[in-house]
Amino acid sequence: MPEEGKVAVVACAGMDKALGSVARDSVFRVVEVLRPDKVELLSLPPLLAGVPSQSGLVRSLPVVIVDGCAERCATKLVVKSGGKVSGRILVPTSAKKYSLTPDSASNVGLNGERLSEMIAEEIASIVDKLTEKK
Amino acid sequence: MAKRKVGIVSCSGEEIPEGTISRVATRLVLEKLRPEETVTICLPLFLAGGEDERAFAQVFPTITVDGCEKRCAKIGTEKYSGNPTATIVVTDLLGKYPKLNLKSRDELSAEELKFAEEVAEEIAKRVDEALSLESLDKRDEQCRKKEK
Repeated sequence: MPEEGKVAVVACAGMDKALGSVARDSVFRVVEVLRPDKVELLSLPPLLAGVPSQSGLVRSLPVVIVDGCAERCATKLVVKSGGKVSGRILVPTSAKKYSLTPDSASNVGLNGERLSEMIAEEIASIVDKLTEKK
Repeated sequence: MAKRKVGIVSCSGEEIPEGTISRVATRLVLEKLRPEETVTICLPLFLAGGEDERAFAQVFPTITVDGCEKRCAKIGTEKYSGNPTATIVVTDLLGKYPKLNLKSRDELSAEELKFAEEVAEEIAKRVDEALSLESLDKRDEQCRKKEK
């Protein structure tokens, strides 16, 4: 059962785009380093495959989404699964804002790492606001 | 005539290290082992309704690479386009390496990377098999047409 008072975070995991890799990295930073006690990691494929632990998370916790591109697959899939979208980050927008372009999907490079750090801080701020209200 | 390719549908599994192994192994196949013969099918886009991804998977052979027995990539592919030509599950391959203890969900250690390379070789074999079967099927079909 998901712990109340936490926030679920989910990233697009687009294989073919460098920004998808950045999205994934940023969520790991939040889950493992920045706010490990405040977040639960949500994964899209098991959610759509009907894995109960993931369905439980998406229905009971507010969800912060990190989309890797304009397709916004993570947003679409969370909404389709009945989740409450409480925060959204679009990585291409962040990349323009910070003027940081990752190298490739396999190796995001120093700029990609820096971008994922910045996005992770954005996610952490959203998580803090959502958990303060409770 | 356009060259036939194989679509690789990989688990993205952020929850477990095996998901990262799937992802890294798939990228190795796409970029180094079989760059001319493979394309990636973005699983989230595929699940979210990406028409191009689904159309490709209906027409071309696909190989699913799953991190664990949940087999999310296989389930999604079967649901939205059809049976994959081959399936690989990383936890099944891990059985050959009983001493390997996967820990990293993000960055792989040297040992984990070596395992990802082994998985990539398995995927590449399946790619070769899929394309060989395709060309055999085509030749059979051409023979049947000639006989008529």
